[in-house]
This record gives sequence, C-alpha cells and structure tokens, in this order.
Amino acid sequence: MSEQSNRTLGGDGVEGRMLQVFREVLAVDDLQLSDASTAADVPGWDSLAHINIMYSLEAEFDVQFSDEQLTSFQDVGELRRFLVEQAG
Amino acid sequence: MTVEEPNASRTDDTTDGTTDGTTDGTTDEVREALAAIGATAVPTSRACLALAKAHRSAGSPRRSAQWAFAATDAATSGAGADFAAWLGADRVWRSVREQLPPAPRTARVAVLGSYTTTQFTQLLPLACARAGVDVEVYECGYGLFRAELLDPTSGLHTFAPDVIVLAVDESAVDLPARSDDPEASVEAELARWTSLWDTARSRFGARVVQHDVVVPADVALGHLADQTPGSRHWMLRRFSERLGELAGTAAGQGVGIVDCERLASTVGKRTWIDARYVHAAKQAVALGCVPLLAQHTAAVIGAQYGRSRKCLVLDLDNTLWGGILGELGPHGIEIGHGARGEAFTAFQRYVLDLKEKGVVLAICSKNDEAHVREAFEQNPEMLLSLDDVAVLEAGWGDKPTAVRSIARTLGIGEDSLVFVDDNPAEREAVRELLPDVDVVALPREPAGYVAALADYPFFETEALTAEDAARTAQYKARAQAVEVRENAGTLEEYLASLDMHAEVADLGPDNLARVAQLLGKTNQFNLTTRRHSLADVEAMAQDPAWTAQVVRVRDRFADHGVVGVLLARRDGDVLDVDSWLLSCRVIGRTVEDEMFGVLVRTADSLGCTSLRGTHVPSAKNSQVAGLYERLGFEQGGRDGSSTVWTLELPAAVSTPGLVQVEVARRVIDLRDVPSARLDDEQKVEVSW
Repeated sequence: MSEQSNRTLGGDGVEGRMLQVFREVLAVDDLQLSDASTAADVPGWDSLAHINIMYSLEAEFDVQFSDEQLTSFQDVGELRRFLVEQAG
Repeated sequence: MTVEEPNASRTDDTTDGTTDGTTDGTTDEVREALAAIGATAVPTSRACLALAKAHRSAGSPRRSAQWAFAATDAATSGAGADFAAWLGADRVWRSVREQLPPAPRTARVAVLGSYTTTQFTQLLPLACARAGVDVEVYECGYGLFRAELLDPTSGLHTFAPDVIVLAVDESAVDLPARSDDPEASVEAELARWTSLWDTARSRFGARVVQHDVVVPADVALGHLADQTPGSRHWMLRRFSERLGELAGTAAGQGVGIVDCERLASTVGKRTWIDARYVHAAKQAVALGCVPLLAQHTAAVIGAQYGRSRKCLVLDLDNTLWGGILGELGPHGIEIGHGARGEAFTAFQRYVLDLKEKGVVLAICSKNDEAHVREAFEQNPEMLLSLDDVAVLEAGWGDKPTAVRSIARTLGIGEDSLVFVDDNPAEREAVRELLPDVDVVALPREPAGYVAALADYPFFETEALTAEDAARTAQYKARAQAVEVRENAGTLEEYLASLDMHAEVADLGPDNLARVAQLLGKTNQFNLTTRRHSLADVEAMAQDPAWTAQVVRVRDRFADHGVVGVLLARRDGDVLDVDSWLLSCRVIGRTVEDEMFGVLVRTADSLGCTSLRGTHVPSAKNSQVAGLYERLGFEQGGRDGSSTVWTLELPAAVSTPGLVQVEVARRVIDLRDVPSARLDDEQKVEVSW
C-alpha cells in the first residue's frame, strides 16, 4: 500500500468537507479516513449509512454519483478522486 | 449549498444588545455561535446547530434542544433542505434528551411503510419532540404494512401503538394501468385503505396518520391523461382527492392526512422522488425531503395530540406593511400598491386565511398605539382590521415582555404562540427570553413572507383534538363490533386476496446473476448467510449433485422478480439445504412454506430418505431461527452456534396454499434422472 493511500483526509478543501460529511452522517466526530478506507474498516458504515453518506455527499458537493458508485465502490480514494474531479 | 464550519464565523462584531450576556452559562463558544446566527436574515441550519452544540457544551440542555429544533426548521424546505443537518440536530437532541423537562405529551408511534422508511423513522422522534410530543417509534419492514396490521402475532401488536403512520408511496396503490370503470376502481381501492384505518382503530385504538400518495410526474399519456378517466394517472389523482375527502368524514375519524402531493409539488416532484435512490435503496422519498416529511408528519401528530400552536403574534413595520409608520404616517406605509405593497397585501391575505382556520391573531409593535389604530382605520388598503386582532400590544417596551403579556391576556401558554418579526434582533430576544414561543424568521424581501409563514407547519389543526382520551375510549368500545363484522379480514384472507403466483425454476443463465446478488445481500430471511459467488453458483448449475429453487413471485400489485433461492446438495441419501433465502419483499407471505413443499417433493423424486437443514445465526436473521422447527424438522445437532435439523422422508406436507406454485423444467426433469447415478463424479449433460 502506498504512502499516499494511508494519508488521512483533512484540510479545508474537498477532502475536509468530505470528511465532515462522513463525521456528521456516521456520528463520529473524530473519524479519520484515508484513501484506503473501505466500508468494512469504518464502524457504523453499513448499507443504510452508505446511502445516507452518498446522498449527503451529493448534496454537499452538488454532484451526482453514477448508479455504479451509488451501490458499490472500491474505497474512500475512489470517492475522493471523483469529488475532486467534479467539484474540486 | 454553503457550509459554515461551526467556528468559521468568528467575528469581533458585538452581538445584538438584546441577546448577549443575559444567560447563565454564556461562553465564548455560545457568543461566537450567536454572532453567526445574527449574520444572516434567516439563520442557517449549520449556524443553529453550532449554537445548539455550544449550549450543550455550556451545560444548557434546554437551549441546546431549542436550537437543535431551530436547525430543523431552517433545514427543512427549499434549497436549504439538508438531511445531514437533521442528522446532526437529531444527535444533539438525543444527547440532551434525558436532561430536558418531559414533553407535554407522549405517544407510541408505529411507522408502516411501503418503502425504506428507516431514515424517516430515525428522524421522527426529533420532529415530534419539536411538535411537543415525546414519541417512541416502531418500524415495520418495508412493504409489510398490511401484514403487520392483520397478523395478531406481529411486532406491531406487541408494540401496541397509539399512532400508526401509513408511510406509503404510489406503488402501494392497487390501481390498474387502465380501467373501464375508473370511479369504481378508485372506490374499491379506497375501501381497502379505509379498512386499514378501521383495523388500526379497532385493534389498537390508534390514531392514523395517512401519507397521501404522490402522483408521479412522468406520464406517458401526457396532457391527455387529464381527460382520460380510465388512465392510472387520472385514477391516482382521484384516489388522492377522495382519500382526503374520506378522512374528513366519519369513516376517517382519528385519521390525519399528510398531503404529500402538496409537499412534493412544493419542492418539485423530481426532487421529492430521486429515481436513482428508488432503484438503489427503495427510497421512495429522496433523503433531502425526508426531513420535510418527518416535520409535517410530526405536525399532524402534534395536532392530534392537541399540541398545535394557537396564536400568531405579528410585528407591524416591515412585517404587515412596508416602511416605518412613525416616519411615513398612515397613508405613507407600503401596502396595496407597487411590488412591495402588493407583497405585504398578499401576506395580510395569508394571515387572514390563518385566522379563518382558527388561528388567533395578536399584534406586538414598537409604535404609539394611537398611530397604529390610525393606520388600521384610515388606510383603505389594509386587509386586516383591528377586529381581526384579539390583542394589540403597541408601545415602547421590550418585545419579550409584550409577548408574555399577550399570552397572559389570552389565558394561553407561551408554548401556544408563534412570533413573526422581520427584525432578527427582536426574534432572537424573544427566542432567548421566551424559549417556549416559536419564532418564524422572515426573509429580506416581503415577496418571500407568505412562503416563510406557510413553511411553518405547526398551526396544523385537527378537528378531533378536543377529547383525546374520550376518543380513544370510544374506539375501544367500537372495537368488538368491528371485530364481529371482520371488515378488515384476517391475514389469510388478505394474503389470499393478493393472488400470489410463484414460479420455481432451477439455476439457469437467466437467473445466475440475480441468485448471486441475493446470496450476497440478503440478511434477514437467510438461513445460513453463505455468500456464494457468481462463480460458485455457476459451478453448482453444472453440478448434478446440486438442486436449486429459484423462485419468482408475482401478485396483483407487481411482479416482484426473483425473490427466493434455495440451494441443496445431494449427500448420499440426504438432501442437504446449503442456502435458503427470501428477499424482504415477500417475507411474511408463506412463500417459504410453498418452497418447503417443493423441496420435499424434489427430495422424494431424487429418492432421498431425509432432508437436512442448517441454521447459522447472524446479527440479522433471528426471524428464521424457528423455521425448521415450525416445518417439522427435528434438531439433530449443533456446530458452534449453528443448529442442524433433520426431516425423515417421506413426510406428509400440507402447505397454506396461498401461493399458486408452478415448478418449471429442471426440477421436474430430475425425476427422470436415476438417483443411484447421481454421484459427485458423474457428469450429467444439462441443456438449458
């Protein structure tokens, strides 16, 4: 695993806003995420929370995920890259 | 959408003199959050939420809850609709809930839905607390609402609800695509819904909150649909209209309607229904609109419990008319003429409409009373007259004191008042000093006033609020009579009326992907939760040792597609059930009993002498823990937490027969395969 994928998300830009949405929806104020994080790594990130997260990210960034991304994705890095590209 | 970090609005501007330093427990965090509130005409939900959190940190649970509620108001409608803000407000409120004084009323609320209502159910307690009712909620699995009502062993019966929310969408309405007799079709469907109301009242003594259906925006018939009574579109509209009508008659006693059609039209139907989330997660209401739905449902429940707000307290200058009366005189104020004047006229008209429906009007103005009377009496453009106003408080004292005096004069609690003022400082002063008074923020432009007040839902009235206890008793008394009439019918009758058909097929190219998908995601009705991959299932399809039931179910509502899977493997004389699952769409419909019937016949035809089943408990499959026992299996052993069950064959099986079963091709073909030759090694050519 590269160093890049282990780096935790943060800052004021897209990453920070993205992290904030995760924290709000999952109700974990000190949640840390990296590109390599997956639903399996994050407590509370079940299928329901997933839909809540995806919806809230769409609302936050005014973007739409593809149907494929809505229901399945690789890891947080995939979401981050998508959001940076669409809204960054 | 703009996002304000909780502490981002750090300014050195002084807050309004009316709000700072007056509360015990004021901290820097509270002061900063208050400053952010004052920075915009209408506070943002994030700013309210930040203040709620600050008050929590400062040890003021009541103020924290008050601002969490304000956050929900700010995040409910229009472009600011914000699901995440509601989740945040929900969290703050839940964290201080125990420290709050008890709400005036409590209720046990069951949500019976036709779609994924989990988020709605989660947010409903917050929304109801905002409306003055402390609720405990119960949610039934989606699509199970009829079964839960009718089945005396259902979780709903154990829960014993005071209120039943029928959270349904258009797909639950059984109207055909076309009808030769549309009125009759609509009436027949209405009868099925009013019978649910009867059941809710007779069995539980419960009130009902019925979500009206949203007529889909997409109509192939186009404008012609309006002129075509036989079309589903026309019938849905008629249905929706008649449902409301019926709720207003004796048949609808104790039934409150949430007019979702209106709510959806307000936000836009393509906003209300996001097809992507319908398909991905059966969210028939987009998450951004769930707060609005929860808020309005809570308003109707609040009305049923007598918690509606009774009195509207209005400011005058720049609220009921434009400009400052003291400067412009009775004829100089903006009302009736020009864009702004017309906007104020429209607002006065809306206020009069509220009065018509029973809201008491009061005025709270910093003006000389003589000048105010002059304006009302001399300006011919004024729609409101002083006769419409129950209490006039005009003077130069502070508004919180005046508002308190209005409540005292009317002999009603401060929690019956709603305060409307264009001046943020006055609003925050009232909010600060009279936390029980609701405050409606007006936007900068008067053209937005009507919408701002119309978005406030807690003037909801319910003709039946007066004698709550008596009404419940009345329902209970009527219960026996209704039981005898049995107009609601039994669960069996209901299931029989569904006209269910099941097609049982073997694994094949047309269903492998769906089978693998169901294996991968089904949690509740899943005996072993073995997540076989697509490749595994493909291999099983080619392996004669395996037999499968891939079950497709349709009823008169819909073709549910493939919703049941049973995979069994021949092990000598034993047919071993490796996997058995049902999609939650058809749980509780006796499909499993029919699958069991087919399984026994299959085992017989294979020459097996017994069936073996395994239950592997998971966090979510407790509902099938007793399945094998109910079907007559004997417990044979235990492997860790798993239990193994055996049924000796031949066995007499009688199934409920509520589902018509057709077994297609290969299961039958297997009868022709000599069982003695079905070893693992032996390859049998299978043609699909």
